[in-house]
Amino acid sequence: MKKGLALVLAAAMAAGTMTGCSGGGSTGKAAVGNTETADTAAEAAEGGETAQTEPVSYEVTEPITITWWHALEDQYSDTVEKVVEDFNNSQDLITVQAEYVGSYSDVNEALVAAHAAGNGLPAITVANTPYVAEYGAGGLTEDLTPYIEASGYDIEDFGDGMIAASQYDGKQVSLPFLISTQILFYNKDLVDAEGITLPTTWEEMDTFMQEGTVKGADGTTERYATIIPGWDQWYFETFYLNQGVNIINDDQVTTDLDSETAVSIAAKLKEWCDNGYTYWTGTADDASSNMRSNFISGNALSVVHTTSLYDTYVDQCDFEVGMAWLPGGETKNQEIGGCVLLIPAKNDQATKNAAWQFMQYLCSKDVNMTWAEGTGYMPTRKSVLETEEGQAFLEQKPAFQAIFDNLDLINPRIQHSAWSQLSNIWKNAMAEMILEDGDVQDSMEQMALEINDILSDS
Amino acid sequence: MKGKGINPRKVSAVKDFLCVVPVLIFLAIFTYYPIAELLRISFTDWNLLKDTWQYVGFKNWEWLFNGSGTRYLWNSLRVTVLYSIGELTITIVGGMAFALIFNRMNKAFSVMRAIVFMPKYVAMSSAAVVFLWILNTDTGILNYFLSLAGINPVDWLGDRNTALISVLMLTGWRCIGYGMMVYLSAMMGISTDYYEAASLDGASSFQKFVNITLPMLSPTTLFLFVTTFISSMKVFQSVDILTQGGPYRSTEVFVYNIYRYAMVDFRMDRASTVAIFFFVLLLAVTVATMKISNGRITYDS
Repeated sequence: MKKGLALVLAAAMAAGTMTGCSGGGSTGKAAVGNTETADTAAEAAEGGETAQTEPVSYEVTEPITITWWHALEDQYSDTVEKVVEDFNNSQDLITVQAEYVGSYSDVNEALVAAHAAGNGLPAITVANTPYVAEYGAGGLTEDLTPYIEASGYDIEDFGDGMIAASQYDGKQVSLPFLISTQILFYNKDLVDAEGITLPTTWEEMDTFMQEGTVKGADGTTERYATIIPGWDQWYFETFYLNQGVNIINDDQVTTDLDSETAVSIAAKLKEWCDNGYTYWTGTADDASSNMRSNFISGNALSVVHTTSLYDTYVDQCDFEVGMAWLPGGETKNQEIGGCVLLIPAKNDQATKNAAWQFMQYLCSKDVNMTWAEGTGYMPTRKSVLETEEGQAFLEQKPAFQAIFDNLDLINPRIQHSAWSQLSNIWKNAMAEMILEDGDVQDSMEQMALEINDILSDS
Repeated sequence: MKGKGINPRKVSAVKDFLCVVPVLIFLAIFTYYPIAELLRISFTDWNLLKDTWQYVGFKNWEWLFNGSGTRYLWNSLRVTVLYSIGELTITIVGGMAFALIFNRMNKAFSVMRAIVFMPKYVAMSSAAVVFLWILNTDTGILNYFLSLAGINPVDWLGDRNTALISVLMLTGWRCIGYGMMVYLSAMMGISTDYYEAASLDGASSFQKFVNITLPMLSPTTLFLFVTTFISSMKVFQSVDILTQGGPYRSTEVFVYNIYRYAMVDFRMDRASTVAIFFFVLLLAVTVATMKISNGRITYDS
């Protein structure tokens, strides 16, 4: 009897543990998801029927308040406030409330959780460019094509790469909002004074790393030649892509990150860190601010970062900030970064309609130029990029010449529904390998095994 | 009487049972049903991103025990056990040491006891953020004091050798007062007769501690062991705020591991599989603890 009681008590205790820690997130929702599918299917069927008699209206007819999730940090908050206020004042029906959710991955986690729960969704949200495929495949995003048709929205004016980056499976599931690309920021005063040649190819990097580094008498580094961020694989993945590494093979289920070329690139990155020419930032929260302050204080001759931070750097540096295209290999391509805007599909139609109005406004040429002039985000419109307006913009910000010269080389990101898992594994493996002095070959092989597993099972 | 009417014993049994029913219903809905669901989900391929799912048999279990998940399962098992040992040591050994030190019943000591116990009332999230600053490599006060002693700055949260210790520092700061209070109240319950008798026999204070205090505290120690052990296996908040399981998963305790699969990778199927394994493991450990301790505890009577 006593034993039995103890067993039951123990079971209850352990069971309490389970519900306390994981139950909330993972119980019972599958059933909900399942019925929801049926519901949405039923709704779709209903929608189809009504569509025949009465076309879905995309007009906003009643006053509505909608929420916009964004990931724009402090330095952009003035612009965010101004843009939202201007929109709210421009019409009577829609009131937008902007909500800062956190980093792009915070937005991702919050959005997917809200989607699975079926409530708490924002009317409209930003999303980092690599998530478009995941969301498109998962049915999280509203297909904007009928909205675009109904309101005669001119989508052709966006740059081609940007349109491709915001589509999934040929459907326009998002619109390009704040677009940036990887760039090498450099201390122009020092580079000019010391006559240092900036690298244009991966082979030239060795010389640049040696020339750009300043070491003290005791061999410790006083100035790094460059710093490549390790907290987001976006900053180093083009070094691989441009030397012929696919990252995800054509079969979509394997990676070639354990190939000879990939391993040699990783080994090179590690070698530079070991030699003190640069350091690996790791993935900690303060990695970005540490890197920035190293550049601003002159402890680094250059940094690889996103163009969107151009104005921030210019404001904070007491030297001239230059921008140079990243060194390439067989190709010199770079990738679209920043974010798109999308409307979660599980919202009701009235919310979606209001969100669509706000989305058109946010992606309009005027608002886009407000961002381009006030921050380092790029103009997204052909009617700016390819005309005199673009020239006027360049006169204001001559450093953007490096980007305007290479517009055709900015490609959409790799789109795969397991991409965010892959990128987590990759950046963590790089950090561990370099910072903990791991064996490059072994690390890359182990990493490739894990990546293959998630690619084939997604 | 025979044959008619109802056996009063049965009536009383039914009444007893009826009293328990509300609790059973509660348990069934909030504890046993979720566990059954976890088990079911572990046989599906439910990804939060997708609206549909299907049954995939033992695929997730294969992944866990003979796939890319295995390595991290053992890793988080190792980290959790290390953490638990740390927290148990702090609560039991530290708590007892503090109880012995603070076992003086006057005003000054009661103020000091309150100070030691206070951290328990501070919300874990607030405390963890404060510790983020204390442990900061460049500006943290801990490294500042170490630098006064001529020690180079330590990257407390960013180095795999110190990250778990850093988490345990926060735990220790919060929990040691709790252990102390529990032991203190138990010490006050020990009859002074034992000590007087021992004194008459000429026992030293160390002998009194080993032969009287320690055995008399054994039920308390068991209580602390079981409750602390189970709560330490569930640690999450401090890890989430201080290290997010890093660096390189070196502080990825079990619950964080489950959280990561569920809310970062959105793989509910995998998260459920690990959760079920964790549940069975905890159950086994708890039963074992209960069994082993049965009969080895001295109760004052």
